[in-house]
Amino acid sequence: MSRLPPSTAQVRRLLASREIRHVVVLGANGTMGYGSAALFTQAVPRVTFLARTKAKAEEGLAAAIKQVRSPTVASRADVGSYEADLERTVGEADLVFEALTEDLAIKRAMFDRVEKARRDDAAVATVTSGLSINELCEGRSDSFRKNFLGLHFFNPPNVIVGTELIAGRDTDPDLLDFIEAFARLRLGREMVRTADTPAFAGNRVGFKVLNECAQLAEELGPVLVDRVVGPYTGRALTPLSTIDLVGWDIHRAIVDNVYESTADEAHDTQRLPAYMAKLMQKGVLGNKTGGGFFKRDGKTKLALDIASGDYRPVSEIALPDLGYVDDVASLYAQGRYEEGMQVFLAAEGREAEAARQVVAGYIAYAFHRVGEVAESINDIDRIMGMGFNWAPPSVLVDTMGARAAVELIEKAELSVPEVLVAAAKSGGPRRFFEHPHINVGRFFVAG
Amino acid sequence: MAADSEVYVLGGYQTDFGRNWSKENKHFSALMREVVLGALERTDIAPEEVESAHVGNFAAELYCMQGHLGAFFTEVHPAFSGLPTGRHEAACASGSIALLAASAEIEAGRYDLQAVVGVEQMKTVSAAEGGAFLGTAAWYSEEADGIDFPFPKLFGRLGDEYDARYGLDDEYLAEISKINYANAKLNPNAQTRTWYMNKDHALCRSDDNPAVGGRIRIADCSQVTDGAVCVFLASRAYAEKYARGMGKRLEDIPRIKGWGHNTARLRFSDKVAESLENEYVLPHVRSTITSAMKRAGIADVNGIDAIETHDCFTTSEYMAIDHFGITAPGESWKAVEAGWLEIDGKHPINPSGGLIGAGHPVGATGVRQLLDGCLQVTGQAGDYQVEGAKNVQTLNIGGSGTTSVSFVIGV
Repeated sequence: MSRLPPSTAQVRRLLASREIRHVVVLGANGTMGYGSAALFTQAVPRVTFLARTKAKAEEGLAAAIKQVRSPTVASRADVGSYEADLERTVGEADLVFEALTEDLAIKRAMFDRVEKARRDDAAVATVTSGLSINELCEGRSDSFRKNFLGLHFFNPPNVIVGTELIAGRDTDPDLLDFIEAFARLRLGREMVRTADTPAFAGNRVGFKVLNECAQLAEELGPVLVDRVVGPYTGRALTPLSTIDLVGWDIHRAIVDNVYESTADEAHDTQRLPAYMAKLMQKGVLGNKTGGGFFKRDGKTKLALDIASGDYRPVSEIALPDLGYVDDVASLYAQGRYEEGMQVFLAAEGREAEAARQVVAGYIAYAFHRVGEVAESINDIDRIMGMGFNWAPPSVLVDTMGARAAVELIEKAELSVPEVLVAAAKSGGPRRFFEHPHINVGRFFVAG
Repeated sequence: MAADSEVYVLGGYQTDFGRNWSKENKHFSALMREVVLGALERTDIAPEEVESAHVGNFAAELYCMQGHLGAFFTEVHPAFSGLPTGRHEAACASGSIALLAASAEIEAGRYDLQAVVGVEQMKTVSAAEGGAFLGTAAWYSEEADGIDFPFPKLFGRLGDEYDARYGLDDEYLAEISKINYANAKLNPNAQTRTWYMNKDHALCRSDDNPAVGGRIRIADCSQVTDGAVCVFLASRAYAEKYARGMGKRLEDIPRIKGWGHNTARLRFSDKVAESLENEYVLPHVRSTITSAMKRAGIADVNGIDAIETHDCFTTSEYMAIDHFGITAPGESWKAVEAGWLEIDGKHPINPSGGLIGAGHPVGATGVRQLLDGCLQVTGQAGDYQVEGAKNVQTLNIGGSGTTSVSFVIGV
């Protein structure tokens, strides 16, 4: 059973129980560092940007101001270097927020210094997107471990509100409750508690789907994959464009970590395609290196030819007739989501079948992870909806109906989660998705 | 004056005002469909029960090249085919005018259960084009033609009028903006809930917060919003039946206890000229507020637990403070300074975030205010709940203080 959300009165009491008046951000020149630091300046009177040099920290501050488009960030911020300012500022901080590069040894070395400098009551949070919270604080003092937690914002944090909160074995439950309330009410976050498992909940489920699409690109090519697993399947940004945006190196780090440290029923879909590893050796990392699955040459959009490694204009790539996608989109445009979903489920051809395989894999994988990465399917739903901006698995099930979902997963030759089998048999529950304030229609993009 | 109003509000639904329906490639009919189906589900009302529908909308002809909005209600569900429907327009007060029409029909005994939908899709055009469309809420040829963003300028003049009569420090306007944005963070349907804002930003004078009309800066403005809201209004007989079915008492169902409605002359200069001898800058707005209180049997603002007012600009909320009687005329700043307007203050204003924080889909705003009132008095407002609220008053304004409508909703 999932925890009951605290009442308004409880939340207000929690917020009053503790104060965050000073946050020190470590790694404040990195994307997650300055993005998170900017977020904190909204609700915290003093935020210290720290980096290897003061000049780097200043770059972080400038990037933060640009990201949230408010010069007032500066009036709440100060900058410094680890060498000159860490001990002093960490000693004054209520919250130390670590956003260094994703490397266990580097982070642990930094926590050595933080441990010596911090006050006993100061909280320490890491923004890691997948390193183990327990490993990160292993061997530290009781006070450190009690006050240590994962606070995983998604990039860019000023736009994406889904946030994972991860406890270590020894994290103080009161601190977790407070951080959850603070982040929700003061920073406008959608907070989801996840287990300390590889890639937590969002990236575990999300990158499985993205990687499966990268695998599928070997057969269908990038253009067709992004068309058939496109917006109409419940996402604003198409899958391979997402990998280009995130960066191929980050994608590899996440799927390799999951592939090495888990052995679930979808293990094969977590294996990085060999062509990606090969192209990465040649320096292809996605948008940050000027191209990945897609690139631009002036006004011309080019797509990767996976076999040759060359790029061809998208306009010259012949696509099969995908009229069903337009039919789905025009039903979505009028808000007729159930009807659009039925058209997708009934569509003929290899492309529609491939798209259904990905969607079936997403739903089944998410439901099978309940109890492992999060307490309930609704936690996974919220992070997929508000962290990835994808139709949450439950929303897809509700829209197609439990019986159709079971059929979809069976046809994909995947194991069907028991709750879906039970729901299909009994005809209930009427809704798996339980968040009355989240409009499910927003996830069905007509295109 | 009519006897005790016997119009009940059974509940409703609003869309997430943060959504951009053009980016979702959606037609305006999707807004209508989602909001009506959402309201039916939320209230557990069967579509077959609905007898009539009123749609509030300002300018779908301009934004969406679509008129005849009442007819779109019938597209939502097969059971609605043949129902009597209509559309109402009074600029930014369109939603409240639809509510007034629906409640009058219930009071007249024509129908027992009515749907009222407020809807506006605005992100179909550029900011400049949208600004010109909004100019049609003023006397276009006299006050808006050829002017970029005419409405911020008109409401800048409202601030100037206060300044001339009583003095006005812009810092109080920034504080009003800050409170609305802070409350919006508590409202999961508010458009700005994720936006960067604090008082320093509201006060800052930079390219990130430019002036758009005299003393009005970006942080003083309400938003351009896509959104829809649907509520169900019912007669006493229907509400009794509904309450029994839901295991509630009739006394637990919110009731529209009072209403006020006035229309002043269109041009802002004419309104100001008329009020020169009056202690209130917009006396017709004052009359709307007091007549709603009087019909509700409430002596003054101390009988109101929260207000959802029309802060299309910070100056309009500044005006509302003294017009509601929270302070003496011209002394609105005292309420700001005393912290009375915050959610836990003596006179909470816009716990939802208002038009600045929650968003302003023009034709939907009046209905959104009533729905928020309904959530407050039934203790369902979640993180933006005003503790123990029993009576909430709305103020919805069309044009530059031209059409004013106010409701008192309570249990």
